[in-house]
Amino acid sequence: MIGRKAVEVWVGVFVAAGILALGVLAFRVGNLTSADVVNGYHIEARFDNVGSLKVKSPVTIAGVRVGRVSEIRFDPDTYQALVEMNIDGRYKNLPTDTGASILTSGLLGEQYIELEPGGADTYLKDGSRIKVTQSAMVLEKLIGRVLTMFIDKPPEKK
Amino acid sequence: MNVLRVLGGIVVHGIERLGRGTMFLYEVVAGSWVLVPRFYLVIQQVFAVGVLTLLIILVSGLFVGLVLGLQGYNTLIKFGAEDSLGLLVALSLVRELGPVVTALLFAGRAGSALTAEIGLMKATEQLAGMEMMAVNPLTRVIAPRFIAGVIAMPLLAAMFSAIGVMGGQMVGVGLLGVDSGAFWSQMQNGVDFHEDILNGVVKSFVFGIVISGIAVFEGYDAVPTSEGVASATNRTVVYSSLAVLGLDFIMTALMFGGI
Amino acid sequence: MAPIIVPKLTNKKAGNRRVSSTAVPSNSDSLVAIRDVTFKYGARTILDNLSLDIARGKVTAIMGGSGCGKTTLLNLIGGRIKPSRGQVLVDGLSVPDLSKKELFALRKRMALLFQTGALFTDLSVFENVAFPIREHTKLPEPLLRHVVLMKLNTVGLRGARDLMPSELSGGMARRVALARAIVMEPMMIMYDEPFTGLDPISKGVIAKQIRELNDALGITSIVVSHDVVETCLISDYAYLMGDGRIIGQGTPAEVQQSKSEYVRQFMDGRAEGPVPYTYPATDYLDDLLGGGAR
Repeated sequence: MIGRKAVEVWVGVFVAAGILALGVLAFRVGNLTSADVVNGYHIEARFDNVGSLKVKSPVTIAGVRVGRVSEIRFDPDTYQALVEMNIDGRYKNLPTDTGASILTSGLLGEQYIELEPGGADTYLKDGSRIKVTQSAMVLEKLIGRVLTMFIDKPPEKK
Repeated sequence: MNVLRVLGGIVVHGIERLGRGTMFLYEVVAGSWVLVPRFYLVIQQVFAVGVLTLLIILVSGLFVGLVLGLQGYNTLIKFGAEDSLGLLVALSLVRELGPVVTALLFAGRAGSALTAEIGLMKATEQLAGMEMMAVNPLTRVIAPRFIAGVIAMPLLAAMFSAIGVMGGQMVGVGLLGVDSGAFWSQMQNGVDFHEDILNGVVKSFVFGIVISGIAVFEGYDAVPTSEGVASATNRTVVYSSLAVLGLDFIMTALMFGGI
Repeated sequence: MAPIIVPKLTNKKAGNRRVSSTAVPSNSDSLVAIRDVTFKYGARTILDNLSLDIARGKVTAIMGGSGCGKTTLLNLIGGRIKPSRGQVLVDGLSVPDLSKKELFALRKRMALLFQTGALFTDLSVFENVAFPIREHTKLPEPLLRHVVLMKLNTVGLRGARDLMPSELSGGMARRVALARAIVMEPMMIMYDEPFTGLDPISKGVIAKQIRELNDALGITSIVVSHDVVETCLISDYAYLMGDGRIIGQGTPAEVQQSKSEYVRQFMDGRAEGPVPYTYPATDYLDDLLGGGAR
């Protein structure tokens, strides 16, 4: 029978190792540090098509993540998709004529919103709306456009 | 006709045991508040159940990680996607292999030991003796072991996954030449704390409850002879393993399948 | 002789256990009173309309062949099983009707010594004896140590305090169990086959211990045994059981001189008598020559 002190020490080591493993998983394997938005403010944008954009999809500027999509709704008045974004409070100087585009990461990857700052003097605040938007590329439409381009264009060697 | 009777008998017997087991566990948990001032009893059991299972978990985790690295690489390289090896290894471990394999190993090692110990205490009348001394064996003997199992399982599963990822890295980056940066960055971008890791922890927690519950009940319910204890130990391992695999499907479907 | 007020057998949750209904005339010096108890296990009747009294402060023996229901009787007194019919009274309380809490409170005042001793195999001798104290009291360590060593000394095993149960002989294990049983100073000790499987010296030691403890501590002892010689030496009164019933009772001297066939067969250890030697079977010649399945 191991003495009481030894048992307590070993159990302490065990629990500490377990918590350490959980920490390793959370921070090194997962993405907990680049976690959530601090002191965020909400802005919204309307898109004709959001593609496969999801809630919690990243919002980036110049490729750097500055926020996340917080809500995606259908607006029955304008027949458009209404996307609400939560932007980190550190980035308060986004001009009011900033544009939002839905891009795809890689060729077949997940979709995200990239913001392109404009040149206006006033800044977006909580509740502001982005006016300039570009919807997601739907693959079928793209292929369809390429095909019609081929059909319309007369063959050159004639 | 006889076959139907036998089948019906088995089903009725099974349901009766399930009911008795649930009530038993309820009594165990309900009375366990008295252990708060006597927490050392739980600590002792965490040692027996957790610390002594640690070695097999770590070694198995390492090997599973190594194999995942190898097999994952062999498959991904066909699509030129070997940079995603880190993501593959991490997701496989954190979502599935960590909780499930740890649970199966735990059932075999700690679960069977719990059943045998309790069954033996019953057979040598130690539990009856305790009752006659006005000490409730459910609180004094069973509850600490059950709680210890529930505490130990998630910790063991986390350690399994962590060491598995490192094993995958050893093989992938060290041996097969996958880029270390790609290995880790793809993994960190793809593994979500809430979706993947937390779900894995929830799974291992549920497995802990199921395995510990089955183990202590089978021990307490065993026929107090040597064959009785042996067959109870056998039942623990078989039923826990089946329950773990079945619950894994259900939980996976709920968590990841959007069912 | 005042009649005992017998509590009514009602739903224990109703909380009216102490309401008297019938007064049963009986010996008020009985610590334990068994009245018309029948106990069935499935289809088998183990105890059949049994009545007996255990007198306070005395050593009472309950003897009988294997399977006659002696251990069942102890389990009834200890509240581990309930009778199908009849009353089990310990110190005026109806055992089957007690709530869990009350039963536990009663058990603290009783001690049951199992045949095997039932020591906790993962604790040392000292820790085994200390177990009830640690569980039921908040006695500080130095005092606890004194009590444990005193009780171990009573059974002559103070020097064995650090041994593990696996290192003890059968007789020593039972003596340690005895020390553990008396550590909370119960009002009654029940011994389940204390002499079985021991060598003559150990038997003599245990017998001496039982008698001396009973007299020194002023407690009541029930000895369940089929060891006629030792039991009769130390008992004040004896019951002889057979087929779930009492087939003889009296002081050891009276029982030993009884003329009843049952009693004589048991006391003298005869192979043939009212208790048959042969297990019921078909005709012998038919079985041998019949050429059946077996």
